[in-house]
Amino acid sequence: MVAVRKILPAAFICVVLAYLYAPIAVIVIFSFTTSPRLSMPIEGLTLAWYANAFANPLISTALRNSLVLAVISAVLAGTMGAAFAFWLVTIKRARVRATLLTASLMPAIVPLLVIGIALAVLFRGIGMQQGLLNAAIGHVLISLPFVVLTMNARLESFDFSVLEAARDLGATPSRAFRDITLPLIRPSVIGAAMLAAALSLDEFVVTWFNVGNQQTVPVLVWGLMRRGIDPSINAIATVLLSVLVCLVVASNIINRKKAK
Amino acid sequence: MLPAGIFYVVFFAIPMLCLLGLSFWRAKGFELIPDFTLENYHKIFTSPLYRALMLRTIGVAFATALIVVPIAFAIAYIMRFVFERRGQLILQIILLSLFSGYLVRIYAWRTILGKQGLLNSTLQWLGIIEEPLEFLIYSNIAVVITLSGLLLPLAVLPLYSAMLNVSRDYIEAARDLGAGKLHTLRTVLVPMVIPGLRTAFAFAFLLSAGDFVTPALVGGSQSMLIGNIIADQFRGIGSNWPLGAGMAFVVVAVMLLAYLSVMRLIRWATRW
Repeated sequence: MVAVRKILPAAFICVVLAYLYAPIAVIVIFSFTTSPRLSMPIEGLTLAWYANAFANPLISTALRNSLVLAVISAVLAGTMGAAFAFWLVTIKRARVRATLLTASLMPAIVPLLVIGIALAVLFRGIGMQQGLLNAAIGHVLISLPFVVLTMNARLESFDFSVLEAARDLGATPSRAFRDITLPLIRPSVIGAAMLAAALSLDEFVVTWFNVGNQQTVPVLVWGLMRRGIDPSINAIATVLLSVLVCLVVASNIINRKKAK
Repeated sequence: MLPAGIFYVVFFAIPMLCLLGLSFWRAKGFELIPDFTLENYHKIFTSPLYRALMLRTIGVAFATALIVVPIAFAIAYIMRFVFERRGQLILQIILLSLFSGYLVRIYAWRTILGKQGLLNSTLQWLGIIEEPLEFLIYSNIAVVITLSGLLLPLAVLPLYSAMLNVSRDYIEAARDLGAGKLHTLRTVLVPMVIPGLRTAFAFAFLLSAGDFVTPALVGGSQSMLIGNIIADQFRGIGSNWPLGAGMAFVVVAVMLLAYLSVMRLIRWATRW
């Protein structure tokens, strides 16, 4: 009778998953339907909205800008976050380590709105005109906590005695890093960097306050959304969604592999 | 010093201080005039409009947290104690929904809840209702439904990790000693997962108070939140940066205060 006792909890999980995934399913399904209004019953299927979306002259600029920002975030947040996490685990005093870890997670707890306007104030103060560079700095900042957090979790199981062994055998610190540390942590760093790329591709709020007149995919989508119902939004959203899901799933798999 | 440390100081700590400093300045047109005035704060606290928006923001954030935290708690409980071996898998599926586009998910709710949206048209098609239900969209209800969907995955994570540390033995011991289900929940399980509960509540409560995209897309003119006004001060016609900076600090302070009182209340409720 075990199964019967589990029916209710299973049903509950299913209802909640439906609540979380219903919006996503709606977007994907209606990116392929002929009726421009999102309503039932469905009349026919088409790829016209995809053609429509990619005929938008702004989309190629937005895509290029978004990709540039994602690569910058992945590289900078990935390396800086990994180095920071690596330095954190070498701190002997647990109290200091915990405080620094909490402090490094702050940008994830402060509302994005506040981070966005604070950066805008700084850039205006130093006379730096709004643009892609400003947005890139914002993206790196909001990605860093997630990189630090995932790297920290992995490094807690890192065996530092292999480094000592390498030193004892005469390896210089840089050689030990290149031949021992890097191969061991590389998958985690790549996984964390991909997460940073995904966060950057999807970032809207901080971008909005700092990017000026430049386009990114979320900024473009926002503009279309403000104008009303436009089925090409569903098409762009579905493409973005696929890229994000691929990045996150791949990041997870790469990270998992090293955990063994 | 480490690059990340410098980065945090230059692009996080210093901007926050700049924002605080700016809240004491004045704005004249688009120009910012250095000053040390409490005028902005005076305006925020005396304006009936801002006060109403602040109260509505707290109300919406609280309603969202009240939906999100119990559901997340139940999910975490089921993942930990009912489907123990599949817990990680369920967690991954729930967290994946976070990466399906932030704007996209909000926009999707507009198309689901809209007057001619999926829900209304389906109900009409099935003959359950004659006229579309208009309260579903451009209302506080729409904002709460959407925000709950956005923040639920974030609340599940800390509650699940907290429950992983709770041994099944404690629950069983309490039951063996004659405690009822509810009593066990209130006096054994909840106190043991307080840190997770605190984080889950903070995510749901604080992040919904700072969201301005959701009210802008699914809320009507009657369900604007304080975040919309702040955003307008920075990217709108007739913007006023110093006033917006002041508002941001007032919101954060008020929300923190509300958050701390709720935490105290929970702790008190688990004592008696």
